[in-house]
Amino acid sequence: MQSKAFESFLFEIGNLSAFIGRFFREVFHPKYEFEELLNQCFFIGNRSLVLVCATGLIIGLVITIQSHPSMEAFGTESWLPSVVSVSLVREIVPVITALICAGKIGSGIGAELGSMKVTEQIDAMEVSGTNPFKYLIVTRVVATVLMLPLLVVLGDTVALVGAYFGVNIHEVVSVNLFCNQVFEKLTFGDIMPSIIKSFFFGFAISIIGCYKGYNTKNGTQGVGRAANSSVVLSIFVVFIIDLIAAQITDIMNIL
Amino acid sequence: MNQEKIYTRLPVIQITGLKKSFGSNRVLNNFNIDLREGENLIVLGKSGSGKSVLIKCIIGLILPDEGSIKIFDEEVTDMSHDELDMMRVKVGFLFQSNALYDSMTIRENLEFPLRRHWVGGATDHVTDLVLEALTNVGLEKTIDMKPSELSGGMRKRIALARTLILKPKIILYDEPTAGLDPITGKEISNLMLDVQKKYNTSSIIISHDMSCVKIVANRIAVLIEGMCYAIGTYDELKQSDDIRIKQFFD
Repeated sequence: MQSKAFESFLFEIGNLSAFIGRFFREVFHPKYEFEELLNQCFFIGNRSLVLVCATGLIIGLVITIQSHPSMEAFGTESWLPSVVSVSLVREIVPVITALICAGKIGSGIGAELGSMKVTEQIDAMEVSGTNPFKYLIVTRVVATVLMLPLLVVLGDTVALVGAYFGVNIHEVVSVNLFCNQVFEKLTFGDIMPSIIKSFFFGFAISIIGCYKGYNTKNGTQGVGRAANSSVVLSIFVVFIIDLIAAQITDIMNIL
Repeated sequence: MNQEKIYTRLPVIQITGLKKSFGSNRVLNNFNIDLREGENLIVLGKSGSGKSVLIKCIIGLILPDEGSIKIFDEEVTDMSHDELDMMRVKVGFLFQSNALYDSMTIRENLEFPLRRHWVGGATDHVTDLVLEALTNVGLEKTIDMKPSELSGGMRKRIALARTLILKPKIILYDEPTAGLDPITGKEISNLMLDVQKKYNTSSIIISHDMSCVKIVANRIAVLIEGMCYAIGTYDELKQSDDIRIKQFFD
């Protein structure tokens, strides 16, 4: 029983690797579907925009409020903007944005492609002279890879606004002073790793959603399963990527 | 249609020794058949007997294990992706589930194969072709609607319009009346007959619906155990004493 589960796990890994390999073969090979890519960029960016902004604002506010008592106890409350901003930009906002996108975009892609698969729309596309892999998969993956870093930058900005409100609950701090304190500690080396890892988050979320949706079986039941497993697996992979990114950044800082 | 006339016509599809298995399940086992120019050939068989696999092999969606499929004397099983695309302009496919794109309007659904297979046309000409195809199925008023706003019968007609828009010489129908009430099923059957007369198309039709079979069939092939078990006209097969054939007509 256990060996069968392990065999099926290895089979899934093999298929996913072949799927990723096919993506890299198709992405650089013409014909390019620019119109569909722009559509997908709009849908993917637009779909998560409000949620990312709202979550960013709340997270910025909450982290600042929660950190204040501890920092006050050590007499370091003047460091609050810089400490909070570094933790928001380096870790919290990219991961929260990726988790939101895994729920929103990953499940959406899995369910959409899954229902297209079971209703033969993907076959119909192929019969209509379209490479469905290029039209459906490549465009969605590239659009998510491009949009997620933009959502992270937007999320960072809104979270810092939230942090500003959080700081002003306890004391009056001007926007200028807050910005000075934030950018005194927040460096290029904090921002870049978070942007770079968000490209990988975007790739993982979209390729898993596409893989699960494109390989849906067993009718409508399979569509639900594809959407669900897309979210669960992509959230898990986001944390794995985050762990690897933290290790790499740490090694680079030592060097 | 006179049967003698059909047998003297040129074959547009020739299938020889076709074999296809999924794991240990052999679905097609040395299947042979010809589709003649201008005829409606019904493929009759039980559920899971490999009828849909057969027409998906013909259109190149499934690669057979062995055998030959020739469309207008060109071997399909050896074709590259680009050659398959060229061939698919001449061969339309009506899917059992209609396969209309949910996210697109009816206009966009019909424009999709046009723009993909043929990119040289002006927008006005594309609109004219879309309207002509919709008029053929009597649904020109649905042009700006979404598939979800239409009934099952209307969706089937739109799917047929999308199949017809490239004016194919051959049409493959996968259970065209499945899931429809008898009246709508009869309307679709008559529409298929109109299409055959108007455009002189040759068709392979997968169906269980004997009222549809009776209306549209010039010849019927019975698919049993992956082989073409019997072939003949509706009347010839109906009079057969073979129990395996009789069960479809009782």
